[in-house]
Amino acid sequence: MKSPASPPLSLPIGQVLACAGLIVTLSMGIRHGFGLWLQPITMERGWSRETFAFALAIQNLAWGVATPFAGMLADRFGAFKVLLTCSVLYALGLVTMALATTGLAFTTSAGVVLGLAQAGTTYAVVYGVIGRNVPAERRSWAMGVAAAAGSFGQFLMVPVENVLIGSFGWQNALFVLGVGALAIVPLAFGLKEAPFAKPTPDQQSIGGAIREAFAYPSFVLLMAGYFVCGFQVVFIGVHMPSYLKDHGLTANVATTALALIGLFNVIGTYAAGSLGQVFPKRYILSTIYLLRSIVIVVFLNVPLSPMSVYVFAATMGVLWLSTVPPTNAVVAQIFGVRHLSMLGGFVFFSHQIGSFLGVWLGGRLYDATGSYDVVWWIAVGLGVFAALVNLPVRETAIARPVAQPA
Amino acid sequence: MRRFAAWLVAGSVLAAVFAAYLRPDLAFTLANQLWNCF
Repeated sequence: MKSPASPPLSLPIGQVLACAGLIVTLSMGIRHGFGLWLQPITMERGWSRETFAFALAIQNLAWGVATPFAGMLADRFGAFKVLLTCSVLYALGLVTMALATTGLAFTTSAGVVLGLAQAGTTYAVVYGVIGRNVPAERRSWAMGVAAAAGSFGQFLMVPVENVLIGSFGWQNALFVLGVGALAIVPLAFGLKEAPFAKPTPDQQSIGGAIREAFAYPSFVLLMAGYFVCGFQVVFIGVHMPSYLKDHGLTANVATTALALIGLFNVIGTYAAGSLGQVFPKRYILSTIYLLRSIVIVVFLNVPLSPMSVYVFAATMGVLWLSTVPPTNAVVAQIFGVRHLSMLGGFVFFSHQIGSFLGVWLGGRLYDATGSYDVVWWIAVGLGVFAALVNLPVRETAIARPVAQPA
Repeated sequence: MRRFAAWLVAGSVLAAVFAAYLRPDLAFTLANQLWNCF
């Protein structure tokens, strides 16, 4: 029997972290402020909000569906080529989003093209490079640094994009962001690894890696947990402002709450990655999901006030994307780094399904029942479920049979 | 010392971005966007 072995490290850690961090700052950040274009685009084009929202829903699904494939290509041909291609796609998507004059063209550009571009420029692809170039004993921390950079990008780009729209107009602002997306090209050179050797017959194939992962209970449990992460985060991010409005709070409270989530998210993702160096990651994940449920229960049961919203936002912010580093670090720990981007992509796909359901069910059940209560309690229940299913995850490297010489 | 400086810079950047959210123009835009969505 043999265990997943790490290949020799080839890139300096500082270079990997700096370039990976800046890449995800851009790729996660640019997309995060798209809501700011809702009003100007729908007003100028005469579209309904549904046209805009549908394109962004497609973007999220395309991002999730394409990530395992982008990861597959990155594992086989190197992240560098995938990053180059997808940064150009990112720029192309932003430019065509600015120029789209029909709903179909907008859905294709802002939805499909940008979704594909994000698949090739975000965590799954970048984590493959980190996994291959950072020693296992520092990997969780390194993933935490990259995740914190992505969280920072989300936090940073909303005000930046607001200034861009105010200064240049919504269309030119998208062109400027297109140029910004191309900044991923030079940064990708910092993640360029030595060409991968052609796979030999005794090495695990892509199909073999997929079969192995899906037959391994811990992988399925991690996917289940990540599904819950997507559900909770996107439900709260999208529907909380409406919940606050229903309860008579002002728009400023919602704005400050989202800013607090963004701020504490940066701290939480870094902290979770660092804690992953010290504590078993399954316990970290389990604790995060359990705490989310507890925080929601407390929030629902204390009198609603601006202060209760701010405390909820700050604590939920700490727990927001803090699941990203431990989840991906466990995948690397179990299966090794050879197919890390692809396997991380499958786990992320599950996250996106949860995200989709979080947004959709939030609206659906609100319409059906006239309140968000049912969905809040679903989020609580799912949090407890995720806390439980992460406990039995085995973090040890999977044992693989070795071909015996004839 | 370098570590402390790095944390200080990171903290300052985060505080500066947070302050940007509290600027009236952004708060107004975000508030409009958030409320108009629902």
